[in-house]
Amino acid sequence: MLRAIYRLAWKDVMGDFRHRSTFSSMLFFSLAVLLVFQAAFEPDHQEAQRLVPGLLWSTVLFTTIMGLGRVFQSEEENGAFEGLLLAPLPRGALFFGKWLGNLVLSLLVMGMLVPLTLILFNVNIWSHVPMLMFLLFLGTMGLTALGVLLAAMTQTARSRETLLALLLLPLVAPLLIAGVQAMAEVIANGNLNGPWLNLLLIFDAIYLALAPWGFGWLVEE
Amino acid sequence: MTQLRAVDIAHRFGRRVVLRSVTLNCVAGECAVLYGANGSGKSTLLSLLATRLRIQQGHCHIDDLDIKIHGEAARKRTLFIGHHSHLYGHLSPLENLIFFRDIYQLDVGREELIEAIAKVGLAPFIHQPVRWFSAGMKKRLSLARILAGRPAVLLLDEPYSALDHEGVRWLNGVIDTFQKQGGLVVLASHDPERVAALNHTPWRLDGGVLQPVGETQ
Amino acid sequence: MQRLIAFNRWLGWLTLGLLAAALWLVFDAPMDYQQGNSVRILYIHVPSAKMALFVYLALTVFSVWFLWKKSETADILTEAAAPVGAAFAMVTLASGSLWGKPMWGTWWAWDARLTSMLVLLILYVGIIALRNGIDDPIKGARATAVLCILGAVDLPIIHFSVVWWRTLHQPPSFSKASASPAISGPLLPPLIWMSIAFTFLGAYLIILKTREIRARRTLDTIEAERTFTHA
Repeated sequence: MLRAIYRLAWKDVMGDFRHRSTFSSMLFFSLAVLLVFQAAFEPDHQEAQRLVPGLLWSTVLFTTIMGLGRVFQSEEENGAFEGLLLAPLPRGALFFGKWLGNLVLSLLVMGMLVPLTLILFNVNIWSHVPMLMFLLFLGTMGLTALGVLLAAMTQTARSRETLLALLLLPLVAPLLIAGVQAMAEVIANGNLNGPWLNLLLIFDAIYLALAPWGFGWLVEE
Repeated sequence: MTQLRAVDIAHRFGRRVVLRSVTLNCVAGECAVLYGANGSGKSTLLSLLATRLRIQQGHCHIDDLDIKIHGEAARKRTLFIGHHSHLYGHLSPLENLIFFRDIYQLDVGREELIEAIAKVGLAPFIHQPVRWFSAGMKKRLSLARILAGRPAVLLLDEPYSALDHEGVRWLNGVIDTFQKQGGLVVLASHDPERVAALNHTPWRLDGGVLQPVGETQ
Repeated sequence: MQRLIAFNRWLGWLTLGLLAAALWLVFDAPMDYQQGNSVRILYIHVPSAKMALFVYLALTVFSVWFLWKKSETADILTEAAAPVGAAFAMVTLASGSLWGKPMWGTWWAWDARLTSMLVLLILYVGIIALRNGIDDPIKGARATAVLCILGAVDLPIIHFSVVWWRTLHQPPSFSKASASPAISGPLLPPLIWMSIAFTFLGAYLIILKTREIRARRTLDTIEAERTFTHA
């Protein structure tokens, strides 16, 4: 079963790199979002340091939504999704395969986004980068778990990208709050522990447990 | 010996009744061919046998396995090839088959997959992305799964579409070999001509009821 | 069906009577010594907030019932409850704003409860939009039910994270007493009656909506059958 999950994720990541579609659009989209923030807020040095957590998390959120819109697109041609459902796999395994593929792509983008943000906003907190990355990693796990489920939910809907954003944003509010607060704590005190980190972990645990189950209900006939 | 027993299957979509009462018995080496007009419920019946749709009424066993309860185990023994090729355009034929092997959790080596591709005549294109293939080539590749997967039960929905004369003869050869090796085939078609070459049991699906051809008319 | 219509009409009149009686009590109640007349807004605000949450609870129960038993009634109830809940959430937010202007001096404050209510409203709208967006009624029903349950799990997390966020991080700019007004003494009976009236109102609206949805679905089936037999 692990082999099947790996192969599903491999298929998605491979496809992405061959056509350089989602990964590069996500990356450049995130740059565009940063540009918008700069133009909208024009933060000076001090403000920038305060704004970094919010900037990073909002960019991550918007970028992820964009990537999620494409998660099930590759399954549309030639009825590929039907083919997946015909495989002798539990529905949860299908979910984890799709999730893993999306997670890898999102994490690659996050890995580049953190240094880019620090450079573009000229914030000197390089010593905190590993901790910031770790927080983004935790957040992205839960975010993509919920997101892939919602992407499956809106897969056949009209104007699905809009719908996906409308559903995802209120539901990830706790993740956003916890992520921003935990990151602010890291930047202010260099301290990773705290209630917000716990909330992030709780969110991840709940959605990684709930999403495969919800996915099973969605695709059942 | 593989055995498929579907008893008194009925199915409805919302309030529309598609299958009223379908009973079908097949054993290994047999090829049951379902004839019927468009919308007569052939595809629905195959989808039910493939566990793609949940059985609403009646029951179906593959050997002693109730497919409604043991869906996963049933899917592992069954291969359903329908209107769609289920292929990924960005992957090559070999990669598509590797993907198929891994999600079906088959113990098949890479060489056997390459061999299967050669047998369907796609050896020259083994590393080309499937995206640029013609409909006939895609069909051949999706049928290569039969050779690679060696299922016990093969469900084919209009397998002859997109195939030329040569392709039809080739496919009939594949089905014939599969039968002789002890495979069980259920095939839906509206074209008796192409099926004629097969050693098969004809059935007619009409008004949601399945009847053996020849007995009623 | 006839019995349901009769019951619903009867329920409608009862609701109207209860609302009238409760309103009379509201205006009969004494003014609050701190809040003056604007306290009367709370008699709408508090019951509708309760109903917005209560309807979501019902929605969750209907969703679980639908997924479990595949009952069409449960699905119709899910479809009917969402807009009613959304309406209550909207009334809650609007009345909260109206009350906030004289009391807090602003139309809106990122108070934990108001923020949660806003999220709830967006969630309701999302549930309605999801169903409207999916053409296949069975898929739409299943997606909506899963979303409702997801929301039910998420709502407490949202609420607590917002509470922590507003209390731990930035202390509220207004005093705690006025942020969570405690109503007691002679101000209590109108609130109780208003809550009862709103509960009946919610039930009445949901049943009314159920009838509309059932009628529409029957019509759809007839049309579909006609197309199918002609084709």
